[in-house]
Amino acid sequence: MTAVLLGRRKATIVALALVGAALALLVLRFGSGPPAAQAASHREAPLIANDPPADITDFYMFRSTQAGQANKVDLIMDVIPFEEPSGGPNYYNFDPSVAYTFHVDNNKNGIARDVAFELRFTNEIRGAVNSLGLPLSYVGGVPPATGSVIPPITALNSPGLGLRQKYTITMITDGHRTTISPMTEKIAVPSNVGPRTMPNYDALAGHGMYNLGNGMKVFAGQRDDPFFIDLGAAFDTLNLRSPATDMLSGFNVNTIALEVPASLLTRDHHGPAETKQPWLGAYASTSRPEVTVRGEHGQSNSSHYVQVQRLANPLVNELIIGTKDKDRWNTLDPSKESRFLDYYENPRLALALSLVFGAPVPATPRHDLENALLKYGPTDPRYSELLRLNVSSPPGASWPNGRKPSDDVTDTAIQVVGGPAFAGAGDGVSTNDKVLPNVFPYLASPWDGRNRVHQNP
Amino acid sequence: MVTVAALAATVTLFSGVLRGSHSSGALAAAPTAPTGTGFVQTGTEDTAALVAGLQQRLEASPKDAEGYAELGLAYQQRARETGDPSWYPRSDRALRRALRLAPGNAVAVGGLGSLALSRHRFRDALALGRRSLRLGPANARTYGVIGDALLELGRYGEAFRAFDTMARLKPSDGAYARVSYARELLGRPDDAIAAMRLALVSATDQPEATAWTHVQLGKLYWSIGRVGPAARQYRAALSAFHGYPYAFDALAQVQAARGRLSAAVALENRAVDTIPLPQFVSQLGDLYRAEGNRAQARRQYELMDVIRRLLVANGVKTDLETALFDVDHGIRTGESVTLARKARALRPSIDGDDVLAWALARNGRCDEALGYSKRALRLGTRDALKIFHRGMIERCLGHRSAGDAFLRDALALNPHFSILWAPFAKKELR
Repeated sequence: MTAVLLGRRKATIVALALVGAALALLVLRFGSGPPAAQAASHREAPLIANDPPADITDFYMFRSTQAGQANKVDLIMDVIPFEEPSGGPNYYNFDPSVAYTFHVDNNKNGIARDVAFELRFTNEIRGAVNSLGLPLSYVGGVPPATGSVIPPITALNSPGLGLRQKYTITMITDGHRTTISPMTEKIAVPSNVGPRTMPNYDALAGHGMYNLGNGMKVFAGQRDDPFFIDLGAAFDTLNLRSPATDMLSGFNVNTIALEVPASLLTRDHHGPAETKQPWLGAYASTSRPEVTVRGEHGQSNSSHYVQVQRLANPLVNELIIGTKDKDRWNTLDPSKESRFLDYYENPRLALALSLVFGAPVPATPRHDLENALLKYGPTDPRYSELLRLNVSSPPGASWPNGRKPSDDVTDTAIQVVGGPAFAGAGDGVSTNDKVLPNVFPYLASPWDGRNRVHQNP
Repeated sequence: MVTVAALAATVTLFSGVLRGSHSSGALAAAPTAPTGTGFVQTGTEDTAALVAGLQQRLEASPKDAEGYAELGLAYQQRARETGDPSWYPRSDRALRRALRLAPGNAVAVGGLGSLALSRHRFRDALALGRRSLRLGPANARTYGVIGDALLELGRYGEAFRAFDTMARLKPSDGAYARVSYARELLGRPDDAIAAMRLALVSATDQPEATAWTHVQLGKLYWSIGRVGPAARQYRAALSAFHGYPYAFDALAQVQAARGRLSAAVALENRAVDTIPLPQFVSQLGDLYRAEGNRAQARRQYELMDVIRRLLVANGVKTDLETALFDVDHGIRTGESVTLARKARALRPSIDGDDVLAWALARNGRCDEALGYSKRALRLGTRDALKIFHRGMIERCLGHRSAGDAFLRDALALNPHFSILWAPFAKKELR
């Protein structure tokens, strides 16, 4: 699977493909550029805003691989790219003005409005941080020598948990909104500050996993970024290596993980074994309140929201959609994807490679990409960019049949975009730097702020 | 109690780290500023690193149009962070190079548009924004460029529509802030504050943008005389972005309002030391003058000419700012009408109207001034300085009670609206 095992020419092509992917990924994860300049007296707002709390890095949907849970489907979205574990004093939080939503299509019409789950967060400044007016979000285990007045943070009601985020989950079925388990107080797990403040982070995170009844589970909080790719080697003039290095090693993300019985998602309300309608199509989105100049106050409880970002299949935003169309693409419903078909039929990357190198990539138009990413099957007349999962497939299926955190989507994407000549090609990083657990929420514990490292073992 | 004291010491230590890790010169010296203390992100080293990375990338592949476009934008961010206008010609060259390599590059055209805005060439900015829109029809930031240009050209209805489109296309710090500004212009400060609060929460993790937004929110509070909330926002800006000169400048106003002139002078000097922007230098001169330090005030006012020449040399149009400064400080008063007229032709906004009205009034031509002053207030903007100008013009025309009503309105809105003119207005009403 590693690129260094390929022929030299092919390795070069793969690496070039990676440079493109890497650049796109960097742009996407770091934001598409700096705000505009400020000169003398006229007022210039930032022209480009990075929006990390609304920036979805990955979306996963898969049949649970945990023992005894095979009738469940997991929906996971990661936000806030490249969280530096030591990034205090504020660390990383969900945004109370953002609506975080999973959208599901269960009747194969490409419109993911059959079932949706929306999460909203609120902030609370509390405990010792509030009463002492400390300029820190979290404090605990101080001072160690004299017996502590503020104990370490071991629970989600510990006094040192100064900034606390509670959240609600609303299930939206055919437009009807139901608050899920309203009596269960749901608290997001804070960033992993370090061993003095949070001496048993895994136990603390465990408190943030909630059973919501009806077989549903939720977790919101920090995790290790499960994406893996060797960007550095690709950037260093194609200096690929074995073993390769996961550039996202040592970085965290904020995760929302939701596990629900498959029967809650399927059209006929049957589980994986019985359902006659096993296909689900889904995406994750973030939205912000809509404001207009003449409109009302525009408080965060505004009823109108604008989709800021959507994510279904990995790398579509990075590798397929052109920069100039990204804002519009993100705003639109995935069922409007036919407006962007040209990007799928003539992928820029494959085109550039074939022009420059005469590389044997498949002929355009690339209907294979459309079929794989936009349709439930070759005969499906509708184009909708959704992550599709056949819930009747055995647990463990890989992207593009759903997507699990362990799927090597970079390699798969190169092989699919590159065609037969790229069989077995890849970037040389095939697993995450931390072992991905096979239990909910399926992502590894985050790196702690004090002992952070950014290197592969 | 011992433990609480120890905790307080810990916190003080933390605060020391927070404050101490970047000196006041950090903005200018960003490329060598240490990174990775973990406590502070200034953001400027990020931009410097971005510039270095792009330069390296372009050395390796000199035909990379996108790279040059990004470099051009990164240079503009450096200008924003350092206040050094020599980044503008560099940005110009990079963007034009990108366009030579890829004539239809929407990012480069949009970048030239935002550069034109920075240089106060609003008609150019509008044309470039529209061209960029044709090349990339759905880019939210292009609507920002177009709306900003339209605003300075006095075409408010079109500008507001552009901002609405931007906010609908991609709600963001920049979009919310523009909607806020539009609402402020329309005389709705509370709604402007609500939108700016949305801007603030959308600026997470971007120190410069967060600090900028805090300062804007503070200025909204300031504009309606709420000094305490304003000061809190300015301090929040400083903790988001250490040494942020716009926050020092704004805090200097707060101290002056509280009658602490020497503290105000110290703060303004920190702003000027970081970035000698004309508005900082001018305010420093005004503060020295208020202190009675005529020699220092004159030194600052003389510096204004040097800075202005520097800006002009880097392609920035400064006529409107120059006219207002001259009129306010009794410099070349006779020529100021011509200058203001020229400035207004380039920038027929309510600011252009207001400065021309004020220049005419200070030359005793209050009949002509009145029409422009009315135009300056035509949106219903609650801007104490413009309202004060109107009051002075009415008084000059012999409309004493109308004039006094405007002066009272200005002072009621914001008793500290100008270091120069608020005390004067108070004296006039006595």
